[in-house]
Amino acid sequence: MTSTRSRFSGYAVLLLALAMVGGLYTAFGAPKSKAADGANQSIAIEEGRQLYLQGCSTCHGLNNEGGAGGPTLIGVGASAVIFQVESGRMPLAAGVAQAPRKKVKYDRTQIDQLAAYIESRGGGPTLPKGRLDDGDLALGGDLFRTNCSSCHNFAGVGGALTRSKYAPSLKPADERVIYTAMQSGPENMPRFSDNQLTVDEKKAITRYVRYITHEAKDPGGAPLGRYGPVPEGLVAFLVGIGLLIVITLWIGARA
Amino acid sequence: MSDSIRDRLKAPAGHGEQAGGGDTSRSDVTSGDFVQTDSRSAHGPGQTIPSPSATQAGDGGTGLVGGGHLSDDPKRAKRAEQAVAALFLLSLVGVIGFCVTFAAWPYEFGERYFELYTPLLGIFMTLSLLGIGAGAVLWAKTLMVDEETVQMRHQLSSDPKDREATAELLKKGFEETGLPRRTLLRNSLLLGAGSLAILPVPFLFGFGRFQHKERVLAKTGWKAGSRLLDELGRPVKMGDLEIGGAKTVFPDVPGGRRLADSAAFIIRMRPDELKVKEDRKNWSIDGHIVYSVICTHLGCPVKLYEQQTHHLFCPCHQSTFDAADEAKVLFGPAARNLPQLAISVDADGYFVARGDFNEPVGPSYWERKPHYSEPKYNAEAGS
Repeated sequence: MTSTRSRFSGYAVLLLALAMVGGLYTAFGAPKSKAADGANQSIAIEEGRQLYLQGCSTCHGLNNEGGAGGPTLIGVGASAVIFQVESGRMPLAAGVAQAPRKKVKYDRTQIDQLAAYIESRGGGPTLPKGRLDDGDLALGGDLFRTNCSSCHNFAGVGGALTRSKYAPSLKPADERVIYTAMQSGPENMPRFSDNQLTVDEKKAITRYVRYITHEAKDPGGAPLGRYGPVPEGLVAFLVGIGLLIVITLWIGARA
Repeated sequence: MSDSIRDRLKAPAGHGEQAGGGDTSRSDVTSGDFVQTDSRSAHGPGQTIPSPSATQAGDGGTGLVGGGHLSDDPKRAKRAEQAVAALFLLSLVGVIGFCVTFAAWPYEFGERYFELYTPLLGIFMTLSLLGIGAGAVLWAKTLMVDEETVQMRHQLSSDPKDREATAELLKKGFEETGLPRRTLLRNSLLLGAGSLAILPVPFLFGFGRFQHKERVLAKTGWKAGSRLLDELGRPVKMGDLEIGGAKTVFPDVPGGRRLADSAAFIIRMRPDELKVKEDRKNWSIDGHIVYSVICTHLGCPVKLYEQQTHHLFCPCHQSTFDAADEAKVLFGPAARNLPQLAISVDADGYFVARGDFNEPVGPSYWERKPHYSEPKYNAEAGS
């Protein structure tokens, strides 16, 4: 009995000690890290530069000046990096009409380092501080339908563009990718500046896209790709006619 | 009775198609006591029905006639009766379910299970209709006496005597009108009635002075000086769009955002990418250019803008326009460029329209006159 209690009390003391260390670190360590923010930033930029030279400079040039293989990255901002690398589109595997979404080659830390490096090369749009997923859903719906749905479809499943280009489905994109896509205007997507769609409006659109691609139900049961009336009509026609044929056969068959 | 039915069923189907139509019909009539003939027919079936009609009348094994019957097996008949009764009662359940759902099921958005309201109504209505229908079919297939009957057609033409009498009557009536003798009457009637044929001719040449002069189809809501509002009603100003940006805009007039024909699309591209001809040099500003979003083919919204190729793409029939070059047609069924809206910037830096589109927007129509408002822009080009 006594031994059991002492074992538990040992854990309790350990927990208390850990909490105190954590508290002390927050109280005294945090201001220090803020002071060292600039130094951390320059370390991140240097790490990002190394990653860039290894993985990106072949096409985008040793000084981000661009070349035959890829555009200049001066002034594209951190958002372009986050969108392209975090969705797996960069590094590009082959020269095709449009970069497809692939397996992501870098982890989140490396992506942020790359982004910090590119951001240091002429600025450009960056992700805002704070959460991206707390936007106004109804406003997001309004803005999505006027600004995005013409290419990405009302349900965000994407659609065709000219000459084998396409607007991709928005389903695999997370909040960061959706938000940075609007900021950076990748490939043929128009770019939406903060004057055109404010930070809150972009957050609202981000929230709405996540809602329609992940939370919205399909009241009819099957989404049919959410392409709208064409597949729905086809299914209604085939199922309806098929059912009518079966019923006709049953009525006409000998019992 | 049932034996004779079975014998009939064993007989080869499609007897009417066998050779010698008339004879076959006659044998049908005489061999079975259940064969009916048309009582209205005054003539014997064998005489008046030529062989093609007999083929149709005899139901040549078209499958409309069922074969099963359970009247001689009380146990199976009982089961079939119960199945039919169950279907009829299912119909009752459907009706009750429909009424209860209609009256009591939650239907307002957000209520618990509200999304089942419409499907339940549909399911119960289906049950109510399907139960009666399926029950009736099952009833006919299993319990009703099943027999093939031949119903003879009567001759379509009337009795020759009747026909002669009618012709005589008509002839006499015509003579009594006096038309054969009174030529003035006859000719004036022909002239007056014949002129009625001319009555629709004016409509072939349009409605003339009643044609609408307002040019409602040619005009949109844009007026000189109206600002370009976005979807939330905010005016768009210089600098709102980055290079590569695009936005749907509406005229700043009452109800402007609901004017379907006035929706326009402002695009900003690098000024050196924009090909501006001399006659349109005051229509765009610093790489900002505005086009109608309504496709000149069939009126779909052309808002699929590719910022690198400057293609404007119509999702309905793949018409492709070059936004960098007066929205000329690159591909697809559209016959004309997208109409352009000339813009300038007012004292506060906001974009304003300098008039209506240079052409009527949207698909073609009969009275469409191209370029009707174009000269106006260049007349006021000094602003």
